[in-house]
Amino acid sequence: MHIPDGFLDLSICSVMYVATAIFWIFAFRKASRVLNEKQIPLMATLTAMFFAAQMMNYPIIGGTTAHLLGGPILAMTLGPYAGLISMTIILLIQALLFGDGGITTFGANVWNMGVIGVFVPYIVYLLATRMSRSRSGLLLGAFAGALIGDVLAAVFAGLELGLSTLSFPYGVSIAVTAMATHHLIIGIGEGIVTAIIISMLQRTRQDLLQLPKLSPSWLGGT
Amino acid sequence: MAGGRRLLAFGLVLSIAFVMVGVLGFSNSVETLDQVAEHLGATESPVWSPPIPDYEIHGFEGNATANIAIGIVFTVVVLVSTYAVGKSLRSFKSRA
Repeated sequence: MHIPDGFLDLSICSVMYVATAIFWIFAFRKASRVLNEKQIPLMATLTAMFFAAQMMNYPIIGGTTAHLLGGPILAMTLGPYAGLISMTIILLIQALLFGDGGITTFGANVWNMGVIGVFVPYIVYLLATRMSRSRSGLLLGAFAGALIGDVLAAVFAGLELGLSTLSFPYGVSIAVTAMATHHLIIGIGEGIVTAIIISMLQRTRQDLLQLPKLSPSWLGGT
Repeated sequence: MAGGRRLLAFGLVLSIAFVMVGVLGFSNSVETLDQVAEHLGATESPVWSPPIPDYEIHGFEGNATANIAIGIVFTVVVLVSTYAVGKSLRSFKSRA
């Protein structure tokens, strides 16, 4: 889902940088006030783990491959603002050092994977756990959150491509359909892995799931 | 603090395992977006020449040892960078 340079019109790139910057401001301000000594090693560990996990490409349909994004687990353990900061660091290193994702499209990539791919899973997970306190509610929320977040991130990537009429003249419907179809499969994989990890944490390190979350106050943040 | 160190060590070991599995078994990357773009005839226009394009050092393409080394080194870079960002943000809190 890493959009390279040249695929998006500069106007779309600019809009996406501005939209993402608004979230960056809130995320860094919140983190500077709330981040504690217990969260920092967990944040560093999970960020490194998902950077490494993104190197594992497993085959899916149509001869393509997929890899974990990790945003949902980051959001569910540390909160969406921490997830956004982590994904920003991963995407920045990938773009600058490896050319995985563009520089002009960096704002769009962070928006798709670091805002949509983090906030949507967190909101779905939060709603599910508020509706049902049971273990199945928790796991269903983790699975559904990751799945919906992944598909919506792909839909946004498709929209950005489809609206870039100068660079990618194939229209919104073609771009969104192509991205969403494949990412439905990828999202199921992300959902299963997310539910398994959340389940393991609940059994072995419940304290890590109960850390204060770096999230907006309207999402129950501290 | 000891718990934090244990967590960092555990995460690092797991990350190295991910890198090794990724390089040795799942390194072939054909992303949906790349395939869709190729199918539709869209082309990249890079504005930046990355030092390690596609996670491979020039002259060592396809060399598993070099790719594992890159994966491990930059996983540590990500770990340290995130830790440093977290500490800096925390120091803002202490000063405020």
